[in-house]
Amino acid sequence: MKFFSQSFLYDDPWSIVSLAYFLRYPNPYAAHVISCDVISRTLTPSGTLLTTRLILKRGSLPRWAQGIVGRAESWVLEESEVDPLGKTVRCRTKNLDHVKVMQVEEWVMLRQTQEGKTLQTTEARIRSGFGWGLTKKIENHGLKRFKANVQRSREGVSLILNLIRQSRLHPM
Amino acid sequence: MAHSLSPECTSLKHEYDSCFNAWFEGYLEPAVAAASSPAQREAYSQQKATEFQDKCGKVWESYRECVQKAVKEKGLDTLLQQARDENPLTEPPPPPSAPS
Repeated sequence: MKFFSQSFLYDDPWSIVSLAYFLRYPNPYAAHVISCDVISRTLTPSGTLLTTRLILKRGSLPRWAQGIVGRAESWVLEESEVDPLGKTVRCRTKNLDHVKVMQVEEWVMLRQTQEGKTLQTTEARIRSGFGWGLTKKIENHGLKRFKANVQRSREGVSLILNLIRQSRLHPM
Repeated sequence: MAHSLSPECTSLKHEYDSCFNAWFEGYLEPAVAAASSPAQREAYSQQKATEFQDKCGKVWESYRECVQKAVKEKGLDTLLQQARDENPLTEPPPPPSAPS
């Protein structure tokens, strides 16, 4: 099993970063996202918003593992809770298929700091149950991919953030 | 806006997304403070829920119906159910003490 943990500070306030986070697909840094659907969404009595999204991603497995499972796509479940009063977003994602080959679970939290900026913390757990002496190799590959994807994902959110800032400065 | 998993649902999804996003932008900047009374907060939440229902309720129903049908047709409903039965998503894992 491999773990990953990282935090990042956005200069923008929480409400804008959270909006950008939910609007992040599609963006040029997420060309691997084929589809993204909301399958359930409810407002809780306490005023938070629960959302479940089902996302289809291309090529999350290494090429040689794609040969083994025979399909290069993967379904990902994303469950999130937005609390606008507490100014937090909690979001958990994991892949639904090929879990024996590799299961990636990710926890993201967006929180407003006292300075009015936004702190994102990302934690992930990567686990393979593949065996055949390949488990470690797969997990290492998964971790490497995950690190690269965190960077790309952030660039994607930053791009959407820019678009939101521009549209607020010059409303159409 | 990203495509739907079923091409049939994509136009409904885009319509729903536009409606939701406009509502969501306001939802993220609540007019009540975190320090306000529970009753005030509840009234506010209720108001936001009603606002969503009035503006986007109809298109959400149509979009959800379309997606649910597609999810069933693709056999994804079993996969979703399994995911929730086997490994309910709870809290983050404890921070790694000794990364392997």
